Amino acid sequence: MAAPINPTAPIAPPIDARAERAQARREARAVLLRRPGFLIGMVILGMWAVFAILGQAITPYDPFNDFSLGHQPPSAEHLFGTDRLGRDVLSRVMFGSRDVLIVAPLAAILGVVVGTLLGLVMGYNRGIIDDVLSRIVEAFLSLPVILVALLTLVVLGSSTLVVVLVVGILFTPIVARTVRSAVLAERQLDYVTAAKLRGESGLFIMAREIFPNVRGPIVVELTVRFGYAIFTVATLSFLGVGIQPPSPDWGLTVSEEYTNMISGVWWATLFPALAIASCVIAVNLIADALQSVASE
Amino acid sequence: MDYSRLDRVRRSASPQELDLVESFAQGRITRRQFIKRSAVVGLSMASVSAVIAACSNTPSATTPGSQLPAGSASPGASASGSAAAGGTIKIATQRPAGPLDPIGMQDLSAYGLIAQSFEFLAAMDPATGDIGPGLAESWSPNDDNSVWTFKLRQGVKWQDGSDFKGEDVVETMKRLVAAGNAGIKGVIDANSTKVIDPATVEFTLVSPNGNFPYLVSVFNAQTCITPAGYATGTTLDGLANGTGPWKMDSYDAQTGAKYSRNDAWWGGKTPLDAVEWVFFDTIGPMVTAYQGGQIDAIVQFDVLTGAALFNDANFTVNAARTSNHRQIWMRTDTGQFTDVRVRQALAYSLDRDAMIQQLFKGQADLGNDHVIAPLYPYFDPSVPQRTRDVAKAKQLLADAGVPSLSATLHVAQLQEIPDLAVLMQSQAAEAGITLTPAVESLDTFYGAQWCPADPKDPPCSGAAELGIVDYGHRATPDVFLNAALQTKGVWNSSQYSNPEFDAAFVEFQKAVGVDAQKAACKKIETILNNDVAIAVPYFYQFLSGNSKKFTGVYSSALGQMFVERASQVA
Amino acid sequence: MRRFILRRVLLSLVTLWLLATIVFIIANVLPNDVGRTILGPFAPQASVDALNERLGTNDPLLEQYARSIRSLVTLDFGNSFVSGQPVIPQLGAAIGRSAKLAGLALLLTIPVAIIAGLYAGRRRDRLADRAIVLLGVTLSSIPEFVIGTFLVVLVGVQLGWLPVLAMIPDTAGPIDQLRFLLMPALAMAIVYFGYIARMTRAGTIEVLESDYIRTATMKGLTTGQTMRRHVLRNALVPTVAVIGVQIGYLFGGIIGVEKIFNYNGMGQLMLFAAQRKDIPMLQAGAIVVGIVYMVATLTADLIIAWMNPRARLDQDR
Repeated sequence: MAAPINPTAPIAPPIDARAERAQARREARAVLLRRPGFLIGMVILGMWAVFAILGQAITPYDPFNDFSLGHQPPSAEHLFGTDRLGRDVLSRVMFGSRDVLIVAPLAAILGVVVGTLLGLVMGYNRGIIDDVLSRIVEAFLSLPVILVALLTLVVLGSSTLVVVLVVGILFTPIVARTVRSAVLAERQLDYVTAAKLRGESGLFIMAREIFPNVRGPIVVELTVRFGYAIFTVATLSFLGVGIQPPSPDWGLTVSEEYTNMISGVWWATLFPALAIASCVIAVNLIADALQSVASE
Repeated sequence: MDYSRLDRVRRSASPQELDLVESFAQGRITRRQFIKRSAVVGLSMASVSAVIAACSNTPSATTPGSQLPAGSASPGASASGSAAAGGTIKIATQRPAGPLDPIGMQDLSAYGLIAQSFEFLAAMDPATGDIGPGLAESWSPNDDNSVWTFKLRQGVKWQDGSDFKGEDVVETMKRLVAAGNAGIKGVIDANSTKVIDPATVEFTLVSPNGNFPYLVSVFNAQTCITPAGYATGTTLDGLANGTGPWKMDSYDAQTGAKYSRNDAWWGGKTPLDAVEWVFFDTIGPMVTAYQGGQIDAIVQFDVLTGAALFNDANFTVNAARTSNHRQIWMRTDTGQFTDVRVRQALAYSLDRDAMIQQLFKGQADLGNDHVIAPLYPYFDPSVPQRTRDVAKAKQLLADAGVPSLSATLHVAQLQEIPDLAVLMQSQAAEAGITLTPAVESLDTFYGAQWCPADPKDPPCSGAAELGIVDYGHRATPDVFLNAALQTKGVWNSSQYSNPEFDAAFVEFQKAVGVDAQKAACKKIETILNNDVAIAVPYFYQFLSGNSKKFTGVYSSALGQMFVERASQVA
Repeated sequence: MRRFILRRVLLSLVTLWLLATIVFIIANVLPNDVGRTILGPFAPQASVDALNERLGTNDPLLEQYARSIRSLVTLDFGNSFVSGQPVIPQLGAAIGRSAKLAGLALLLTIPVAIIAGLYAGRRRDRLADRAIVLLGVTLSSIPEFVIGTFLVVLVGVQLGWLPVLAMIPDTAGPIDQLRFLLMPALAMAIVYFGYIARMTRAGTIEVLESDYIRTATMKGLTTGQTMRRHVLRNALVPTVAVIGVQIGYLFGGIIGVEKIFNYNGMGQLMLFAAQRKDIPMLQAGAIVVGIVYMVATLTADLIIAWMNPRARLDQDR
């Protein structure tokens, strides 16, 4: 499991006027909408979001309580076949987007919010606070995210809330490091020095001067984290410590069914696995577009 | 019927033996049950054959144990083709969850590894699947089952070269009593075991028990006999010893264990040279490994994951009926299930046949909301089987004044149990009962829902009002009855307390003879079926198996796979 | 240079201490009964009490913490709670297996990924570039347990080309071992291809756009010469950095892949130790993974310094 890093995070140029920033945002939006990757990503993600919101209202069968013959191959009746208990795989894959699309964004937001705060404080203050926090960040980063998440979830026991907290907190140091390096570059610039000379407080400078200028990398980081959150939650569910049954969550379904692939039952594993892949690819396409627009 | 032959046996028989012979002669128990019981009361094999021959129209046409026995799995030992001497068998098992400590171990994998080197007073007889002579050659009780005398096998040596003696048995039993072994707890105490002479050990029980030999047999896995000087906490890999056919060469907790032949074994030279146990975390890779030719046998697998093995012409699947079951407990003292009608309603909403089909593809026995599994010889089938009746369930709920009911169903992330919870949720919904499954990790489930340590008295009084807990195979139902159902039992999560039941249980333990045991069981079954402190939907089969390249492999339903008689097909 | 290395090593020691503390806190954050976890819910209380006494898990937390820090200093982690065997040999065997697998995975992925990245970087925004970027994103998006399962069924079971599980017999020679390791290594290599290729591409683009390359081109050097003399060395800086970090994670074990191929590397070891509350094993494992990570990143930094002397070593990282 790769903990994502982003050593070449783009750094937004400092622009003073608010109007200029608004103008830049409009332009960026226009550029984004012309990128096919961004559009494809949005369509796929939008589709999963619709499935997640409408849930049982649009699934062809009841994803939980409709049992027919177990492990039937795909047919006209069951397009994706049935699972071990005879439930419709298509319905479960559709409904399976719900849990992950709640857990992953929450975890990403938590990680980015806390990480940004930490990064701002570390980057702006330097000194002893930075040194201490940097050590702790480094210690966390030296272990694979999945391993630490696993350890914590085994100890704490899995519930949706705990999964969100653990994944979010584990993303924090990674975000903090990215934000810190962006802030370090900013704090030497004239506008920060000017604000200091004006006698502004550190809090004000961080919140009103530096933050708006590092918002670009933070937005990119948020999308990237969202993708990794889906990946991480799916992997944790596969390892049995993420989302718990009877949820039709994709990672969980793969872990429940993958051993049956040996007996030739590939459909119960393949479709949820493809769903995971499509969802992460969609988010990554969006993140990729955002990143290249931000660096232009 | 050949009465003269029967009489010869009758004249020399003890009261328990006589009772058994009569039960069989009068057709009250089946031949299979007769063979099983005769091993317990110590009737000699010669007498058993004589009785069977006497009672059969075609004498000696069938050999005992030709059917697939219960509680065990033994493949057709008839080796077609010549057997080649030598070779190694590779056995797949789950990675042990704890140290290879013969006294403290608690998981099936450790049971299997220990049973390669250590032996029991009563071993498993591959022919019947029941207990048979082991380190004890024979045993017999006194008239009221309170004193049991075991005759020890002579000339047995420990792998370190010293002699096996009665003192070894006495010290082993003391250690087991000190460790609180669940099987012998309350049956013997530290002073119960005595050496009478070098070939005889005597057990004076705290309370009479007709099933005692089971409690010191392979079916109570911790009762393997360890040397007199063995310190509690010693592990097999720390000190490779035992009286058994295999000597441990190496053990790596991550990957597996290796054994080679013990040339000094009392049973003679094993056909195979060596045994290798290979560890896996899950069953899926075991199946893959078998298909890839990397292992030869699987200690245990489940129906769904092992589906491919059933269709494999080169693989022998051994399905053994067991008392493995799930208990759906409902708190009888507090919460929404205190009214017996509510508990019955939930039991009536269950579609047990559908569960057995969907979860086990039919490889399970129906449960009737009590713990007397159909494989026990004293199971009484006359108690009516509860079947699904949604209308009745609704009626019972209405009578109890709860037209609708919602409850959280607590389960652990273990084997088929989450799926069982899903099926229950769906089936109960039709009777107007809304169940919400809450699946938790093993630690959380056992520690917070099933039997929290606090409050201590009565035990499990902190349990959730509804949940499903797993119970493994036991050769006798005593542990299920005393721990889960007796008033103040240590695992009594439903807080069930019924003096009538407690009395019936005592009657069962004291019962001398099959008839008396069966009569007591009928009471137990009737009471439990009516009270539904626990619902028991099924007893599932234990599945193990091996490649047809090997014959003579047999296994218990406790993860013990025995290969001392196994050989490779040339 | 020496000062830099000394500083990094000292800081690493502090980080290791923090790491041990974090693991200790996680393992002890909830009141738990180690003996009960190991022996299971149905074990008699007497056995559980005896085990807890023997393991010393009833001792005051501070005493246990002191013990675990002492084991960090002496590098003697004692015996596993679960198997009762010494921790170090088990850990050594597992890290050896992880190293073998990680090494093969890197060997498979690095050359291909670097070539793909350089190629894409030079053809920025053309079809080949788009294709490589998309492929990289896609492959690194699919969790490795999914890729692993598809490989097992397709290559192992259906085609029968390679052994389905990475269970290497003791007697296997190097070639034979390779056969067992190829599939899991491939599953890991596929995931890492995306990271490394994208990093190389980004580095290449940055260098190609820099002034000194423009100068070189104007001086009349051919593209091939420019690539060899200037681009490669500088463009690979971020690639080396990312490989350094990923090695740390690879050694930490790719649990999904290990689980599917039943390979007993660090991942399975740590997963099992976490589930069974095997604290000595967890702690030792975390420290070993931490050390590998630090050595790998430090080595990467030194290589970067050698490749690009202008990179100041003691600058803020």
